[in-house]
Amino acid sequence: MEFDKDGLYKLGKLSKIQIDESKLKSLSSDLGSIIEFIDRLKSIDTENVDPTSNSLDQSLVMRDDIASDVNSANEILENAPQKELDFFSVPKVIE
Amino acid sequence: MKRNLNFIEASSLLEANETTSVELTKIYLDNIKEAEELNCFNTITAEHALDDAEKSDQRRQQGKLKSQFDGIPIGVKDLFCTKNIKTTASSKILSNFVPSYESAVTQKCIDAGLISLGKLNCDEFAMGSTNKTSYYGPVTNPWKSNKSDAKLVPGGSSGGSAAAVAADLCIASLGTDTGGSIRQPASFTGTVGLKPTYGRVSRWGIIAFASSLDQAGPITKTVEDAAALFEIIAGHDPKDSTSSIKENESFFDNLNSSVKGMKIGIPKEFKSDDLPASTQKAWDDCKKLLQNNGAELIDISLPHTMDALPTYYIIAPAEASSNLARYDGVKYGIREEGENLIEMYEKTRSVGFGDEVKRRILIGTYVLSSGYYDAYYIKAQKIRSLIKNDFNQAFEKVDAILTPSTPSTAFEIENEPNDPVQTYLNDIFTVPINLAGIPAISIPFANDENNLPIGLQLITNSFEEQKLLNIAKNVQDTANYESVPKNWWQK
Repeated sequence: MEFDKDGLYKLGKLSKIQIDESKLKSLSSDLGSIIEFIDRLKSIDTENVDPTSNSLDQSLVMRDDIASDVNSANEILENAPQKELDFFSVPKVIE
Repeated sequence: MKRNLNFIEASSLLEANETTSVELTKIYLDNIKEAEELNCFNTITAEHALDDAEKSDQRRQQGKLKSQFDGIPIGVKDLFCTKNIKTTASSKILSNFVPSYESAVTQKCIDAGLISLGKLNCDEFAMGSTNKTSYYGPVTNPWKSNKSDAKLVPGGSSGGSAAAVAADLCIASLGTDTGGSIRQPASFTGTVGLKPTYGRVSRWGIIAFASSLDQAGPITKTVEDAAALFEIIAGHDPKDSTSSIKENESFFDNLNSSVKGMKIGIPKEFKSDDLPASTQKAWDDCKKLLQNNGAELIDISLPHTMDALPTYYIIAPAEASSNLARYDGVKYGIREEGENLIEMYEKTRSVGFGDEVKRRILIGTYVLSSGYYDAYYIKAQKIRSLIKNDFNQAFEKVDAILTPSTPSTAFEIENEPNDPVQTYLNDIFTVPINLAGIPAISIPFANDENNLPIGLQLITNSFEEQKLLNIAKNVQDTANYESVPKNWWQK
């Protein structure tokens, strides 16, 4: 099975990944093969089965809301590709 | 000094003042240097390690040891954030990332006085079972077939972690396992690999792949070492909301290798005509061994075993596509400039991610997209319940389950199939365990006709790691597998 070309470009847009023209054919065949593989599950009866999102049998643990002084803005900004003052900097969004 | 020291031997030598942490660290740094060809390490932190080793030796002189394993050199998968040390997840997109904080697991290792030699190569973002998806190139398995000189994969995604232990480049290492990423490489390299119960080990500071499946664990030379290192890294962490509140246990001190009266389940769904004869034989021999040692074998059924892999390939990519949305060239990692914000995102991600990671993000986005969400994602979560239920029912009858770890032994680096689904099949025996959230261990048992290690997998119910380690120790002590690879990489 091949994944259709338009669908692939749409997925690329949603995923913010550019689809490389030269790899279009191999990518659509790879994705097609994976979809065919996961489609096997369609025939399994899951009527009246609850979904499992997490296997841990424990309700969510919360920690006390205590302020701590870790990861200062300066430390975090050290990794930013571009920064200005105390901010991450990105290409202009509003004209 | 003896080659291939394990955790326990190294700590005895240190205790008897027959070596120092600095001496051990130097030996291992030399071993690493000699084994450059294996490409196990992304980053070697020699200076750091020697500094830490010196401090450990000082603590020993002053009688202020942090733990009985203070001063032992280990390796860390390059997926754990390490403060002020580059952490790349073997991806181009994080090739310049230097975390400002330490992961919970590596902090626990520091608190126990362990010495990190550096960051170990892995599949990109832990996605793969060959270590070939790494931006830094594949890791080579220290094992070679006795019939060919071809280089073999070490398995993945913790390929560097497993290969480094097998090649004696560190005494033990840390890996992570989302669908088999500790057990499959352990099986391919003749090492011991433990995937703990989901929630047993904190995920805080581990670069996330699939958050409901990811667990960190040790790769070691012996079951005792696995118990020791597991005990160091386990325990509740308030910073990980999915971390279990169960008390940590003394897994190492409580090791007891008796299997008398234990019931060992043999699942019929794992039997296959495709299984190599040598793997089948190892499995059969281990059954006999356990029986001889007083365990009872019971045939069981895990009816949804064959549904686990397609279920995993919905859930894991779905979670990955969401987790990897954060890599957009804004806060960390590389950036590719674009005309506008969206183009900058797209260019950064297209240049920064490798092919396998892109495939999984695209699949994950597909199964979560409007119109497909119920048919794929919710459906897979329901089948996950069925898989978990299979194990729950089995553990009403048995103490543990015994299976092969992998459907084959290590294969040639150049011989990977073109179809990604064929590669995914490597994890067919390991993936159901992650979906159920239960613990499992891979231990080396025998070598195949090409002299390559065969691993067997033991599985127990949630939070029964002690029982798991005990049975594994029984198998280890009786099977007496002592094979190590020939060090052909030494110049």
